[in-house]
Amino acid sequence: MKYAFFPGCVLHAAAKEALSSTLAVAEKLGMELVEIPGWSCCGASHVQDVDPEAALVANARNLALAENMGLPVVTACSTCALMLRQARATLLAGAMGRANARLAEIGLRFTGASEVVHFLWLLADASEQWTRKVERPLDHLRVAPFYGCHTVRPPEIMGYESHLNPQSLERIIRACGATPVAIPERLRCCGFHAVFPAEHTAMRMTASAVTSAARAGADCLLTPCPLCHMQLDMYQPDALSAACGETPVPVLHLVQLVGQALGLTAKTMGLGRHIVDARPVLKAAAGSCG
Amino acid sequence: MDTLTFLIDRFDGTDSWRQRYEIPYKPGMTVLACLIHIKERLDPTLNFTASCRSAICGACAVRVNGHALLACDTMVDNLLRIWGEGALGVSPLGNARVVSDLVVAWEEKVERLRLARPGLDAKPEFSAQKGCRQAPADMQAIARQWDCILCGSCASECNKLTDSEKDFLEPFIFTHAARYAGDSRSAVPMRHVEAMLEHGLWKCVHCMECVTKCPKHIRPGEDIAAMRHMAVEAGHTDGPGPRHAEAFRTDLGATGRLNEVKLVPRTEGLVSAATKHLPFTLRMFAKGKLGVVEAARLFMADNPPVENIDGLRKVLAAERSPS
Repeated sequence: MKYAFFPGCVLHAAAKEALSSTLAVAEKLGMELVEIPGWSCCGASHVQDVDPEAALVANARNLALAENMGLPVVTACSTCALMLRQARATLLAGAMGRANARLAEIGLRFTGASEVVHFLWLLADASEQWTRKVERPLDHLRVAPFYGCHTVRPPEIMGYESHLNPQSLERIIRACGATPVAIPERLRCCGFHAVFPAEHTAMRMTASAVTSAARAGADCLLTPCPLCHMQLDMYQPDALSAACGETPVPVLHLVQLVGQALGLTAKTMGLGRHIVDARPVLKAAAGSCG
Repeated sequence: MDTLTFLIDRFDGTDSWRQRYEIPYKPGMTVLACLIHIKERLDPTLNFTASCRSAICGACAVRVNGHALLACDTMVDNLLRIWGEGALGVSPLGNARVVSDLVVAWEEKVERLRLARPGLDAKPEFSAQKGCRQAPADMQAIARQWDCILCGSCASECNKLTDSEKDFLEPFIFTHAARYAGDSRSAVPMRHVEAMLEHGLWKCVHCMECVTKCPKHIRPGEDIAAMRHMAVEAGHTDGPGPRHAEAFRTDLGATGRLNEVKLVPRTEGLVSAATKHLPFTLRMFAKGKLGVVEAARLFMADNPPVENIDGLRKVLAAERSPS
């Protein structure tokens, strides 16, 4: 299957390891991801606060570029997925005319032809197939799934699975041979989008997820959202410092867990780029991590 | 299945405990029907509030397995499909003071609601003689917000409120402010926005719980965004919240992509970026999250512009509000 790939800003910046892992996992599974030429920032759930029309028209342009490729859109960032799907719903609900009046000036047109999906959903849907390709079953790895708000909410826009009790991450964890570990923060916020205006709140949210994972005996946290990953990993030392020295917990991108099971190398997956090193727990779980 | 099992959080004013109840399963029962069955047949001491049984009074909101819902408007069969046939946990709304069992206090929430300055101060062209009419389209702009039934579901799992209610308000309060701020008849729309600026308008964490849990499909998160926009348009551009959002807009128009290196100084200022955030930056360099040369290039210059940046700038410029 071929997709128009919307990486989002963070996969080309602080989460380059998620980009290389996504592309390598896709290749392993026979998916072709073609980056949308000229894609722009989705607005990151911030631009609408200062210029809602700019956020809408930028995503109308992103979607129109994908439609020109004749392909459905896939993204590996939950906030990008929400922004693109929200914009698509708004456009189809009546804003298409005014957006297309603008896009016509640059030779583009949004029609709604390209659906937008999260890479998580593709992995979950195909888990029964790719579990047979697992080269390194992660039998001893205990993984605490952390969905991230925008992966499941609001359900009218995201809607892949129940927002009250999603199971896609658990399904993927089991397909990798690992064991899911439930924590109370499984569906809660990491704090990322308010890390500046509500810094203390964001740090307490991060500390709470990490602390729960440690206390539940999880070897690592797992998230399908690179922004949650940034918050839970990059800000973890600050968050734990504020929480008086709890145990650090490595945080894996979803694509790294799957990549590890499928036999990708640590270099390909950028495992050396984490603030809290994930390599020791992966090594303990499955022997060598490449 | 023959039996439904409920584990209900009890509170008698002093002690808290979780009590198990089993009732005969019948297809098509609402959560409220189950609670009434328990109270009438098994345990008259169980306290909960309910009235209309039609999802319009807002009295019967509770949490099932940690998620707020209207008991009268929720079919048990749907919950069993989501969570399987095990016991369902019923608890009082979150982020609320519990009075007894499933009953929560509203006095303090109503007092906080006053902070939104609810009430319409009409434009001078309106009068008792002329009336205070508005065009259907203007009414539709705030019709959704007027559907609020004050059930408290939006606040129950609000992640920001769970962390602290000292610098934030229940999402429905922002919705109430927005319905007056967005009313075409109002003489003082910014009165409500400025009141919300004082009480955490920029501290929403975008968790989308309020949007998800409202049984009337109101979107408090969007009301917060709309009032932020009104605030910025009115010149309230200082503070990390507006500066952070503006940084994203600036990058969108400049190159099409976020410049992560400039984000912190743009949001908090150069001094903060160079001092408070120094350990964070060094950590990023040490782990290769960010290269030193790359950081210098991004700070001194910018990302290369996306393909057809002129086209992007053209459509964005056309959408920019005059300033």
